[in-house]
Amino acid sequence: MPLLVKGRSFLRNLFLTRRVEQDLDHEVHAHLQLLIDENIRAGMPRRKAERAARMELGGTEQVKEQVREKRLGNGLHALMADCRFGLRQLRKNPGFTLTVVLTLALSVGANTAIFSLVNALLLKSLPYPHPERLGTIYARVTGARSSENPINLDGERWELLRDNVATLISALSGGTSGVNLKAGSRVQYVRNTRVSAHYFDVLALQPLLGRNFSEDEDRPHGPKTAILSYDLWRNTFGSDPGILGQAILLKGEPHTVIGVLPQDAITPSNADVYTALQPSREGAGGGSNFDVITRLREGATWQEADAKINSAWALRARRFENEYPGVHLSYYSVPLQKGETESLRPQVLALMLSAGFILLIACANLAGLTLVRMLRRASEVATRLAIGASRWQIQRQFWIENLLLALLGGAVSIAVGFLALKWLFLLLPEHFLPVASVPLDGRVMTFTLVVSVLTSVLFGMFPAFAARRVDLRSSMADRSVVRAGSVRVRQSLIAGEVALTVVLLAGSGLLIRSLIHLETLPPGFNPNGVMVAKASLDDVRYHDPANFRKLLDESTAAMRQIPGVQNAAVGLTLPYERAINDGVTISDGKEAGTQDGTDLFYVTPGYFETLQMPLLAGRTFTDADGPNAQKVAVVNHAFARKFYGGSNPIGRYINKDTLIVGEVADVSVVSGLEPVAPLMSEQAMYVPAAQVSAQFLSIVHVWVQPDWIVRTAGPVEGLTAEMQRALAKADPNLPASGFYSMKDLLARTLTTQRIEVALLGAMAALALLLSAVGIFALVANMVAQKTREIGIRMALGSSIGQVMVQVGRSGAAASLVGLVLGLALSAGALRVMRSELYGVGVYDSTTIFAVVLTLSTVTLLATALPALRIASIDPARTLREE
Amino acid sequence: MSPEPTTLLQGTLDLLILKSLATGELHGLGISRRIQQITGGTFVVKPGSLFPALHRLEDEGWTSSFWGDSENNRRAKYYRLTKTGRKQMEVESKRWGRISWAIAQALQAS
Repeated sequence: MPLLVKGRSFLRNLFLTRRVEQDLDHEVHAHLQLLIDENIRAGMPRRKAERAARMELGGTEQVKEQVREKRLGNGLHALMADCRFGLRQLRKNPGFTLTVVLTLALSVGANTAIFSLVNALLLKSLPYPHPERLGTIYARVTGARSSENPINLDGERWELLRDNVATLISALSGGTSGVNLKAGSRVQYVRNTRVSAHYFDVLALQPLLGRNFSEDEDRPHGPKTAILSYDLWRNTFGSDPGILGQAILLKGEPHTVIGVLPQDAITPSNADVYTALQPSREGAGGGSNFDVITRLREGATWQEADAKINSAWALRARRFENEYPGVHLSYYSVPLQKGETESLRPQVLALMLSAGFILLIACANLAGLTLVRMLRRASEVATRLAIGASRWQIQRQFWIENLLLALLGGAVSIAVGFLALKWLFLLLPEHFLPVASVPLDGRVMTFTLVVSVLTSVLFGMFPAFAARRVDLRSSMADRSVVRAGSVRVRQSLIAGEVALTVVLLAGSGLLIRSLIHLETLPPGFNPNGVMVAKASLDDVRYHDPANFRKLLDESTAAMRQIPGVQNAAVGLTLPYERAINDGVTISDGKEAGTQDGTDLFYVTPGYFETLQMPLLAGRTFTDADGPNAQKVAVVNHAFARKFYGGSNPIGRYINKDTLIVGEVADVSVVSGLEPVAPLMSEQAMYVPAAQVSAQFLSIVHVWVQPDWIVRTAGPVEGLTAEMQRALAKADPNLPASGFYSMKDLLARTLTTQRIEVALLGAMAALALLLSAVGIFALVANMVAQKTREIGIRMALGSSIGQVMVQVGRSGAAASLVGLVLGLALSAGALRVMRSELYGVGVYDSTTIFAVVLTLSTVTLLATALPALRIASIDPARTLREE
Repeated sequence: MSPEPTTLLQGTLDLLILKSLATGELHGLGISRRIQQITGGTFVVKPGSLFPALHRLEDEGWTSSFWGDSENNRRAKYYRLTKTGRKQMEVESKRWGRISWAIAQALQAS
């Protein structure tokens, strides 16, 4: 009860201020009247009565103030008054406020955007029930060589895991690819993920309609079934509730729909349609092609599960250890989230680090700005101290102003972060991130708030300390005091931020040089004038080699009819793409029996001619290299070097019965064998599309789509439509999944590098901008504060130029120190980037030169622009002003 | 009796105000005069101390106030004890009684 009364009083005092004040005013006046009345009754004359009454009361305002101080909620009242005063101060200095808020918005905004990536990728739990029970499996190799890597499963390991490890519910995913779906008369290109039974049980996803795949449907040659995503069900099938049990034509054969996923279902692949993987030890299961996910059963521990996995796969591990003596192989579970995001972790953390740099730079700027502002307000502080304000009150005022700025900046930075994320998503290709969304959730908001306030504390500390040293007499007397000490503090702040900027500039410079190196690698063919169409042949009709040959013959013939087209061909795959890998055995000569991996391409006659790949020896393919003719192959130069020591490979036999008939130049590809760079050349063999086996066709098109290529001399406008028409002539149910120029394919391959350049480049640009603002502010402030001194110098005969150099020197000197410091720092820090650099070393003179040039230009601009104001100083006027 | 007012002990003023209201509602000046009267003129409460105390007691919920007419038809703010205020007064009186008894004992002992 008393608490209730107190609360009511508190709120009344806080919000009904006017009523409470009026009441108090009336009360005090009434009291005065009563006193006067009393005195008159006691026989005093009116004037004397009034005087005596006033004496006794002791000043109405003082009494009222004493009451106010004792009121409940007085502290909060004072705080609000401070806030109001603070806001007024900020409004009075729009330039300062704008600079601070923008600096905070840009720096904290960048941090917000990057942190929301960190949050979505590394911190947020996976969107499934009990995410801590979800895992994947890693292999740990120790001994002679060591590694810790996620593993893919083959059919054998899968069966051992499924049948022997009961503590886990395990499931496989066979990867996601584009396939054709025929609904009614329309053919549609959709994303299909092949998953094993219990896949959705591991994720704990219950279908909206129907059920998950049964173990029966997951057996090899089991019934063909499909589960639809909600979006596909709604958009293509009009949310038909009777869809269950109906057959849809997927990959050229009917699949019975057995389920529809709920609307908000998120899977690691977010595919449109799911089919049963039907894994076995044959086909795709003959190699390690399956991703595994596991869910720990209730009551079991990960230690138990790992022990079971290791015993189930013990024989496999022994086989590996026999093959590589001196190593030990074991398996262990890793949280699914970590497994999914592992590959992106270093990049994301590097981004977070550079975002931290940006924040430090911003802090240095803000500290400099508030320090100047503080010194300018020295006389105000002195006045307030003189009329009795306590130092605590003055300190509190400054902290409140900083806090207001922090909150203002924080609010704007959330908007900036939101926009930056939008921009980032424009940059990222679809399905690049292994998460469905990057939300600005509560954790991100809290982070932003904490960072803004912390920044405010960091840059608020300086002026607050300065305020403690304000000397009453000197501050009130002096109008402009440039303390040498304060300039030196600001100069070191700027040197520090320039140093960090240099590190970011050098880092992004090296990435840019790498990207340029990769983009300008000699391609080994002529990429200009080539247009590419891709289409999915993951279709039961094209498991038959005769159908496959007919399609290729008819479609390439139709494409050659397009006006302007000089040549057309089909190949799996193209330069700049990841080729499929296969083993090859040398069958004759002294190298006989040598076995190794190679890139494997199937191509139609005309492939080398269309791409204009130079033929080094022998011949290319012709229509005569048919299914019943001698099996032939063309190898590249790297192949000849690797297997034949560079001697002529023509006439040699590989894989028992395949005759090498030609040698072509190397092209840049994405390596699947031993990747040391995103683009490189490695051993490759090309076989005629007409000679590949049915078994090969049924596997390979699940993973990779072949490319139809044309070389044209004419314009490329309308070419894609013509290509689609040519494709439809051969098969009306075969839509192209996309059209690309060779440049597009190159860009697609270098996506990660381009994103790295864009992100780090943006960070470096931001850092440069902030540093420029810092230098600009320093020099501008020097000009403003030294106006009188400059006036005197000019009156004494200094030229404008001399004075400008004299003033601008402060900024340039700080920047120079920062540059040297930054270069030294880069030499150490950038060594961690080595694995991301191609064709360029960490100590790259071009990059260093570019950094020095950029920084010098920016420094020159940032010092010259404010120094130009000196030209407008009129010595006579500045001297009269005193 | 010396007109020089004795400095009030901390907490005494609250108790004196509550006590002065025990017999009925009073306005500010009335309270001041009543305290003067019941303490035999020992304590003269200045408005600078009286008003903050009045407002504090009201914030605490021990008194409530209303506007009324004074004996010579002036509008004045009147205070009266609330139920919790009366309880508070009893508690405070007992405490004060104990303290003053203890002090008296201590002074006599020497």
